Amino acid sequence: MQGCPLGINIPGFIRHLREGQIREAYERIKEKNPLPSICGRICSAPCEVSCVLTDEGAPIGIRALERYSSDFGRTKQKRQTVFSKGKKIAIVGSGPAGLAAASELAAQGYQVTIYEALDKPGGVLRYGIPEFRIPKKILDEEIGEIKALGVEIETNFFIGQTATLKDLFEKGFVAILLATGAGMPKFMELPGSNLGGVYYGEEFLMRVNLTRPATFSRQKPNFMLGSKVAVIGSGNTALDCARACVRYGSQVNLVFRRTEEEMRVRREEYEFGKEEGIAAEPLVKPIEIVANLNNFVGGLKCIRMDYAESTEEGKWDLVPVPDSEFVLDVDTVIIAIGHKPNSLIGKFDSHLVMNAEGTIRLDEETGMTSIPAVFACGNVVTNAGPVVEAIASGKNAAKNIVSYLK
Amino acid sequence: MFVIKNKQILANDIKRIDVHAPHIAKKIQPGQFVSVCPQEGDERIPLTVVEADQIKGTIALIFQEIGETTKHFGAIPINESVFSILGPLGTPAKIEKKGTVVCIATGIGAAQILPICRAFRKAGNKVIGIVGAKTKRTLLLEAQMRLSCNKIFITTNDGSWERRGVVTDALKDMIQKQEVDLVYAIGSAEMMQAVCLLTQTKNIPTRVALNPMMVDCMGMCGSCRVKIGEEILLACVDGPEFDGHKVDFNHFNIRVNAFKGIEEWHNRSSQPNPKNDEPKTFRKFLSGILRE
Repeated sequence: MQGCPLGINIPGFIRHLREGQIREAYERIKEKNPLPSICGRICSAPCEVSCVLTDEGAPIGIRALERYSSDFGRTKQKRQTVFSKGKKIAIVGSGPAGLAAASELAAQGYQVTIYEALDKPGGVLRYGIPEFRIPKKILDEEIGEIKALGVEIETNFFIGQTATLKDLFEKGFVAILLATGAGMPKFMELPGSNLGGVYYGEEFLMRVNLTRPATFSRQKPNFMLGSKVAVIGSGNTALDCARACVRYGSQVNLVFRRTEEEMRVRREEYEFGKEEGIAAEPLVKPIEIVANLNNFVGGLKCIRMDYAESTEEGKWDLVPVPDSEFVLDVDTVIIAIGHKPNSLIGKFDSHLVMNAEGTIRLDEETGMTSIPAVFACGNVVTNAGPVVEAIASGKNAAKNIVSYLK
Repeated sequence: MFVIKNKQILANDIKRIDVHAPHIAKKIQPGQFVSVCPQEGDERIPLTVVEADQIKGTIALIFQEIGETTKHFGAIPINESVFSILGPLGTPAKIEKKGTVVCIATGIGAAQILPICRAFRKAGNKVIGIVGAKTKRTLLLEAQMRLSCNKIFITTNDGSWERRGVVTDALKDMIQKQEVDLVYAIGSAEMMQAVCLLTQTKNIPTRVALNPMMVDCMGMCGSCRVKIGEEILLACVDGPEFDGHKVDFNHFNIRVNAFKGIEEWHNRSSQPNPKNDEPKTFRKFLSGILRE
C-alpha cells in the first residue's frame, strides 16, 4: 500500500476481489485513480516491488488484478451532481496528467476545459503507445468517463499559437494548468542519422498510431518499413517500437548498451517481446549508420562493450572491446533513446521561466510557475517518469489549484 | 467543424480549397502553415495558408495532389467538413523594411510566396517577383503575383510563356544589373540550393522556406529535422524560414528524398497493373504499328 504513488488501497481491493465483488473493487480503485484500466496495462507497478511477497518469491500481480477489476467491474457512472463553483479552469494537454487533474477538479465542481492540439484526446496514451498495449477502445471509454464528469475537451487547439495564455485569461479562465508532457525526441549524434529509413521512436509510434487501427495487423504500413529493423534503446519506447515492427512482419534487433538486467522496462514486457521474436543485442553500442547508394540505410555499424574495472569503488565502467566492430544487416533504424520535455509553450510566452534542461520551473510551496495562476504538472516538470507518477502529479497540481483559488 | 466553403482547380492536379476556420484565420501570419488531416486515420500534411479572410473566417490552401492524403483532401466536396486542421504553426516570416526584396518561387512555391510578397510590399519594400513553372499551364497565381509585386519576371522551362529558362537565370541577370537587399526563395530543394550559391557570391542575405516531410507538425516527432549551421533544428517549430547560407543542403536533400518512395508506392497501388504484352497507352500502341 505504501508503494503506490496514488495511494490506492491495494489490500482493500484485493480483499473485494477475493470475495468476488469486482464492482466494489473497481470503485475502491477509482476513488484514487481516475484511469484504472490504463494503469492496469502500462503502470510500472512500484507496488509490486514493495509487496511483502517479493522476498519470498514472486510478488502478487497487482497490476493484472487492477486491469481485471477495471475491465470487468466497470459500471456506468451516473453524472454526479456537484454544486458548480462557477470557476473556469483550462488544462493544456490531454495526456495522463491532464486527464487526472481534470477529473479531480471537475469532481470538486470546477468547470474544466482541456485543450488538445491533435485531433483526439489522450496525448501519449493515444499517439505514443501502440494499440496492442492500450486498445483505443479502452482509452475512449476512460476519456468518456472523464467527459461524463462535465469536462469539456477542445481538440485541434494549440495553446501558444491558436490562442496564447493571455487569450485564455481574457476568455475568463481563472487558472491554467500546463500538462504538455515530454514528447520531444532527444537527437542522437550518430553519423548517418539523417538517412532515409531512420526514424526516431516518437515519429515511428506516431506514424503507427495515426494509421487506421484496422490496417494495423494485415496491411503494409503507409511509411517505409524494411524487413530487417534495428531499434536503438532499451526503454519502454524502444520496446514498443520493436513490438510494433514485429506486428508488421519485420525481423527486429534490439540494440542497447546495457545488460538485460539494467533495462528500464518491466521484466514481464521484455519477456513478451522476446516471445514475439525480438532478437536482443545487449552490450552493443552503435557507431554509425551505413548508407547505401540511394542514401537509405544499408547497415548499422556497432561495437561491443564490456565491463571493465574502474578506479571508483563498486562502480563498473563500460568500455568498448577492441576489434569487435561488426555491421548489422538492417534496412531501417529506429532511434528511441529518450525524450525531452515539451516546453514549446515557453517559446510563445517569455515570462515562463525554464530550467536548463527545458522543464518548467515551479515554486516549491504553491506549485505555481513564474506566471501567477499558471500551474504545471506531469513530465513537463519531472522530465521523465512512468504514467502513474504523471497521474499522481496531476492530482497534486489539482490540489494546489484548489488551495490557490480558495 | 472545418467546412469547405469553396474549391477551385487551378492547374492539372493543383487545387485551391477555402476552409472555414475562424480561430486560425484570426491568428495566422505570413509564412505560417497549418496541418491538415482530411479523413480520420490519414497522415497529417503541412500546407501554407495563402490567404486568410477574417470576416468570413476562411483560410485558403493551395496544394498539389501527389500522395494519397492530398488526393483524399482534394476529393472532399464543398460543404463537407475536413476531419482536422491545426494551426497556425511555425514561426512567422521576419518582415522588415529592407529596400529591394526579390521573391523567387517555382511550382507550388508560388502559393507559399504570395503572402510573403504581400507582407513585404506592405512594409514598404520594392518587391520583385520571379516565378518559374514548367509550362504556362502549370503557372500558378499569375494575376495575384502581378498585383502584389512591383515588378515580375516569369520563366518557363519550355518557353511557352515569357522568358524561357529557369528562375536562377533571371536572378543572375538581375543581381548584375541592380542592388538587391534580400532574396527570399521557396520551391524545390535544387532551386533553393542554386539560388543560395548564386547569392553567396554577391553576399546578399538569403532566406529560404524549407519543406521537409512532417508528421505531427508540432516538434514531437523529429521527422522534419534540418541541419542549420552545426545544429539540428526542426522545420516545424524553428522554421520553416531559415538563413539560406547556413542550410546544409546535402542533409536536406537526403531528408526530402527519404520519403520520395512513399509517393511512388501510393501512386502504384492505386493504378491497375497493365498486363505484360498489352500496349500501355494509345501512343505506344500507335508507335508499335509504325515500327512494323
